Amino acid sequence: MNRELHYDAVVIGAGVAGLVAATRLAQGGARVCVLARGVGSTHLAPGTVDVLGYAPDAVREPGPALEQLAASQPGHPYALVGAGVVADALDWFVATVQAGPLPGYGYVGGGLELGGRYPSALGALRPSALVPVTMAAGEAQQLGRLCIVGTPALRDFHPSLCAANLAAAGIDARAVPVELELDRADANTLGVARRFDDPGWRARFCARLAPLLGGEDHVGLPAMLGLRDPFGALADVEQRLGRRVFEIPTLPPSVPGMRLYEILSSALRAAGGRLVLGAEVVSGRWSGGRVEAVVTRAAGHDRVYAAPWFVLASGGFASGAIELDSHWTARERILGLPLRGVPPAGEPRFVPEYASEQPLARAGVAVGGDLRAEGADNVLVCGAALPGAAPWREHSGEGIALASAFRVAQVVGELAGSPAEATA
Amino acid sequence: MTDLLELAEHESPRGSLDHCVKCTICETACPVSNVTPLFPGPKYAGPQAERYRVGGEPSVDASVDYCSGCGICTQVCPQGVKIAELNARARDALKRDRGVPVRDRIITRPTALGRLGTPAAGLANFALGLRPARIAAEKLLGVHRDAPMPRFAGRRFSRWARGRTSPATGRRAVYFHGCGTEYYEPETGEQVVAVLEHNGFEVVVPSQDCCGLPLQSSGLFDDARRTVLRLARALDGALGGDPDTVIVGNATSCTLMLKREAREILGLEDDPVLKRVSERVYDICELLLELHDRGELRTDFQPVHETVAYHAPCQQQGHFIGKPALELLALVPGLEVRELTARCCGIAGTYGLKAEKYEIAMAVGRELFGQIEGSGAGSVACDSETCRWQITHGTGRPSAHPIEYLHRAYGL
Amino acid sequence: MVTLSTDVLVIGGGATGAGVAWDAALRGLDVVLVERRDLAEGTSGRFHGLLHSGGRYAVKDPHAARECVAENRILRRVAADCIEDTGGMFVATPWDEAAFADRFVQGCADVGVDCEEIAVREALSDEPRLNPRISRAFRVPDASIDVWKTVWALARGARQHGARVLPYHEVVSVNRDGDAVTGARVRDPRSGEEIEIEARVTVNATGAWAGRIAALAGIEGVNVLPGRGIMIAMNHRLVNTVVNRCQMPTDGDVIVPIRTVSVIGTTDRLTDDPDDHTVLEEEVEQMLDDGEKLVPGFRRARALRVWTGVRPLFEDAKQAPSDTRDVTRAHAVLDHKARDGVRGLVTITGGKLTTFRLMAQETVDAVCAQLGLQRACRTSVEPLPGSETGRHYHLGERLARKEAALAGEQMVCECELVSRAKLEQAIDRFPAASIDDIRRRLRLGMGPCQGGFCIYRTTGIMHARDGLAAEQANGVLLDFLQERWKGSWPILYGDQLRQARLDDWIFQGVLDVEHLPR
Ligand SMILES: Cc1cc2nc3c(=O)[nH]c(=O)nc-3n(C[C@H](O)[C@H](O)[C@H](O)COP(=O)(O)OP(=O)(O)OC[C@H]3O[C@@H](n4cnc5c(N)ncnc54)[C@H](O)[C@@H]3O)c2cc1C
Ligand SMILES: Cc1cc2nc3c(=O)[nH]c(=O)nc-3n(C[C@H](O)[C@H](O)[C@H](O)COP(=O)(O)OP(=O)(O)OC[C@H]3O[C@@H](n4cnc5c(N)ncnc54)[C@H](O)[C@@H]3O)c2cc1C
Repeated sequence: MNRELHYDAVVIGAGVAGLVAATRLAQGGARVCVLARGVGSTHLAPGTVDVLGYAPDAVREPGPALEQLAASQPGHPYALVGAGVVADALDWFVATVQAGPLPGYGYVGGGLELGGRYPSALGALRPSALVPVTMAAGEAQQLGRLCIVGTPALRDFHPSLCAANLAAAGIDARAVPVELELDRADANTLGVARRFDDPGWRARFCARLAPLLGGEDHVGLPAMLGLRDPFGALADVEQRLGRRVFEIPTLPPSVPGMRLYEILSSALRAAGGRLVLGAEVVSGRWSGGRVEAVVTRAAGHDRVYAAPWFVLASGGFASGAIELDSHWTARERILGLPLRGVPPAGEPRFVPEYASEQPLARAGVAVGGDLRAEGADNVLVCGAALPGAAPWREHSGEGIALASAFRVAQVVGELAGSPAEATA
Repeated sequence: MTDLLELAEHESPRGSLDHCVKCTICETACPVSNVTPLFPGPKYAGPQAERYRVGGEPSVDASVDYCSGCGICTQVCPQGVKIAELNARARDALKRDRGVPVRDRIITRPTALGRLGTPAAGLANFALGLRPARIAAEKLLGVHRDAPMPRFAGRRFSRWARGRTSPATGRRAVYFHGCGTEYYEPETGEQVVAVLEHNGFEVVVPSQDCCGLPLQSSGLFDDARRTVLRLARALDGALGGDPDTVIVGNATSCTLMLKREAREILGLEDDPVLKRVSERVYDICELLLELHDRGELRTDFQPVHETVAYHAPCQQQGHFIGKPALELLALVPGLEVRELTARCCGIAGTYGLKAEKYEIAMAVGRELFGQIEGSGAGSVACDSETCRWQITHGTGRPSAHPIEYLHRAYGL
Repeated sequence: MVTLSTDVLVIGGGATGAGVAWDAALRGLDVVLVERRDLAEGTSGRFHGLLHSGGRYAVKDPHAARECVAENRILRRVAADCIEDTGGMFVATPWDEAAFADRFVQGCADVGVDCEEIAVREALSDEPRLNPRISRAFRVPDASIDVWKTVWALARGARQHGARVLPYHEVVSVNRDGDAVTGARVRDPRSGEEIEIEARVTVNATGAWAGRIAALAGIEGVNVLPGRGIMIAMNHRLVNTVVNRCQMPTDGDVIVPIRTVSVIGTTDRLTDDPDDHTVLEEEVEQMLDDGEKLVPGFRRARALRVWTGVRPLFEDAKQAPSDTRDVTRAHAVLDHKARDGVRGLVTITGGKLTTFRLMAQETVDAVCAQLGLQRACRTSVEPLPGSETGRHYHLGERLARKEAALAGEQMVCECELVSRAKLEQAIDRFPAASIDDIRRRLRLGMGPCQGGFCIYRTTGIMHARDGLAAEQANGVLLDFLQERWKGSWPILYGDQLRQARLDDWIFQGVLDVEHLPR
């Protein structure tokens, strides 16, 4: 036996980029298998779709700003995928969430026309193009009098500091700490979210909170309004408190992000795609300029997945897919693909000021205009593996992941002659 | 020369703690810490606490014993930290410090139990069904009175196997049936043999014993090492010289033990026999799916008009091969398969039998039980026997190994 | 302006200055200690962590070695709680001159280091990650010592005996009255407030800065050569024993397991500024290569943080050495009355952390002589507060404490197991503290995530408790982020770079710290 399996496309990585690329490919009729060492940054990131928040000044209208960015930075992922694809990807995304397993839950916001700004757990105003409906009421322009609610039982959210910074930004905000008993001293928002799934617990929570509220018309809570039916939980809490309620993303783990994973992975399942978790891809089998198969480290024995197309959605330095070793050599660890944006030997990789952009920031897997990896004709790259962006400073991570993954599936469709568009 | 050594060290459970970035993903998935504060969670008990452990110093964190060893943390960790393996080692150290309850010494030895129970199956099953006997067992032994207990079949699979020979086909498979098949579910073993033979395999059943997993997961490492090495030698002997012969098993946690856990958790990386064996081991569904991928699986399935829910047990997921059973069941005409997404049934081998852990195990299983009840399925397919017992216990629904459905569809 | 007056003014809040304050207070003197920043923020808080057995200097500097032998024994008693009894090993690697081992054994015998040769097999079974190619191994009573714990204990003990300890008070001028030093003027660098301190005797215990203070007193020729060295902390215990290479002391030849980490060091570069904390890439390379020789795979292991310390090497004006390691590690007590005809000033510099107690003893002897007092030193018998039981700390302590309060205690810093209660206590006791001040007390933010998770938590708790204005709280947060980055970027590769990226996402992505109102 040779432990080899064959698919039409193999996607490496189960973050937003991998799940979206795989779902799109599967929706186009391909037999797709996603191989991932573990889940991606969905479980950590706020779960908002940030398309372009800073360029480097605050962006109000992401659409036009994208065009400008593409023009001035031709190596930027947005320049490669094009603004039109970004718009299509956002539309598809909104529809996919709508059709997903969480009733009533959806993404809303100004999209590419008018980005919104929503409070961060520190009380800064984070720019996002789309946010879950559970965050919608936090849009800064619409906020009236605001009450930020937290509990000392939760170490990952600090209402007083959040409210103080919002107040410094001119928003009428105050903090309300509530006493909550959680069975666990080190509880996080996920632990609380699991309780929010229980209507009885919700009711008790609201009963405890209501008397502490004053004339505020908005209540901000850490993002923990439940996993199973967040929309129902939101409606319930709003009704009980008689105020608009919204979630504020905070330290990992991310409850809205886990919902997003649930939605995207169930879209993949619905489309017939396979997902193998724990499958670390360690190498590829090459034939000329093409990758014939990739090898995963499974239990006991390596496993081989052969396919005509591979999508590298394995993330960047954060996921470990790209590594800088102690000899200061950077490499893409799975296929050894060439990188772009790595400072040459002898040049600084980092600078002493944390707040400056670090020279290594924009390094990623070198790709051509159609997102094909340099040197590998049948490998396409999407998400955080792409070079040319500093997404944590631009606030563009999810936008890039979504749009580039969407684009990758299109390219495979075009190159393979069976347009992924057909079934969309 | 040091290069390989280094790599081994770096990828050892202890070395792998360097990869932890504290991201909390393991915490989001841990079934146990999500239902009880008694277990502080995989990140805490694993890579975090490990930095405070010095070999030779007494264990100070008994809470690690509440880890059920399901291994989900390791599967979801995007950074490659061997969290479950770290926990297992810490549990071993704890047991060495503080001693092992008699109960754990008993329930971790399925072979001995099976040998005792089989000849007197009627009596044993009767006693296990008696409330007073179970209450006594709980008081005396700490085995929870309500915990799911299998029924002794009263016959042993190996007896059946010894009485027959598989037709020689030139394509051999060594069948590792495990203790569950041997004492409790010999019919599953018979189905495995039939399906393999139907697909052209000559099935060899060497004489064999427990893989040591129950011992290992209760932290009895020395006993576990002896047990697994004995098994490895038995299986290796049956491989013969043929490089194409595979070892195939249907007990997914026991095959995982051979493939990976014994080597990683028990520190037996260097044993050459175990290494050879671990590379040849297949889970039955893994093997069949691979055959199918190559166009070599017979698909002369007759329709089965049923709805079945499929649960991939944690240990099966630990093979890192996806869910081959799902794809196989999908080949059967008429069979409606519902994939269950809840990760764990709670039992985790012998964890859910223990009096102090039974409630936790049931709480873990609740999500899965709910999904099963809502699935509209008449039965549940699941690759692991202890999980099947727990599922049936938790839902009242019958459960079977996926091979049972294939066997039926083949009309064997 | 406030004026304080005292018997003894101690300048410098490192181990030496705190040791002097403790010793003098125990002898019944009235003491004021001033430190320009936080206690132990100078060389003491930036050292390697090794309580020398004397083995390292046995061949090279028998005098220094003998002092270490004696002090090691004393400190194990009086500062037991600050010490982890890791034990030490000297191992001969293929890169070490084989003949040195015999000289080492002889040297240890001569100076009284308890040294026992063990089988290589035994060494490797104790320390499995050690290079299997070592040819000989010796056990010595090295240990690791937690300097923060030591300095706080000294300060606490001194306070209990009436001393006033004033961190964040920098000496800006030394007062002279004719041929006498009469005290100093100090300034709080945070508020700018100044205090005049009158003292019968002033002790200059400013280590690498001692020449500057002497110069302020108008005394020339106190040349302290700052010798800068880097150390790199690795994420966990690669070894549990102090491991030294068996060779003439040189760079990068010791790995010290201390608390949750193991630290490799160190280098040695002459610098003219004791506040110079440059980390050169070549030094990092050198440490990693050296680490690899002791522990194969060192370069693949995770480096957490790098820092530099500056050795206070007192120069005997007669020679101008180029390599600072050739200057003796012994200390110098300068009685400026005898040396320069200036009364009321004693300088103590040089030495090692291991010998701080002895240095303090000799210094206070000189102080007493100037004051015309005869009072016996008690620091070799009087245990420091916290060390009364004579038990050493062990690594598992924090884990055990957390285990006992599993359901009750919220952890703010998960890596170093710092609880919310401990943090709140610290905030209450040091109202104007920065997170870095708190870090030195609690080890908060020093683990693998380098504050990724606890900085937000800590700032939030400080804000709620301290009533800081939002801008101040933001400032505290941003300062600490920069502080963490300082020791991170020169060694940012491999696992730690992944961590840094996650931290970037948390701070810049989730929290958006770059766009806080300022
Ligand atoms: C804490 C945090 C906060 C964030 N905040 C924001 C924000 O505010 N705004 C914003 O726009 N974006 C944010 N992001 C970023 C955003 O979530 C990601 O950048 C984006 O989703 C890109 O995802 P990806 O799918 O490309 O990669 P990832 O999500 O990193 O997924 C990588 C996948 O590849 C897998 N993988 C890696 N190596 C291998 C291998 N060898 N074999 C198999 N699988 C492998 C991993 O297991 C994982 O499944 C944040 C991210 C984090 C972590
Ligand atoms: C890289 C390195 C590694 C070392 N490793 C070890 C080891 O493993 N074991 C060992 O025993 N020894 C070691 N040493 C030596 C040891 O660290 C020092 O000898 C010891 O810490 C010196 O303590 P100190 O109190 O004399 O000086 P410091 O700790 O430097 O204290 C002097 C203090 O004076 C303060 N100060 C300066 N100017 C003023 C002013 N104007 N007003 C007020 N205060 C002022 C400074 O802020 C500083 O805190 C090492 C040294 C270095 C550099």
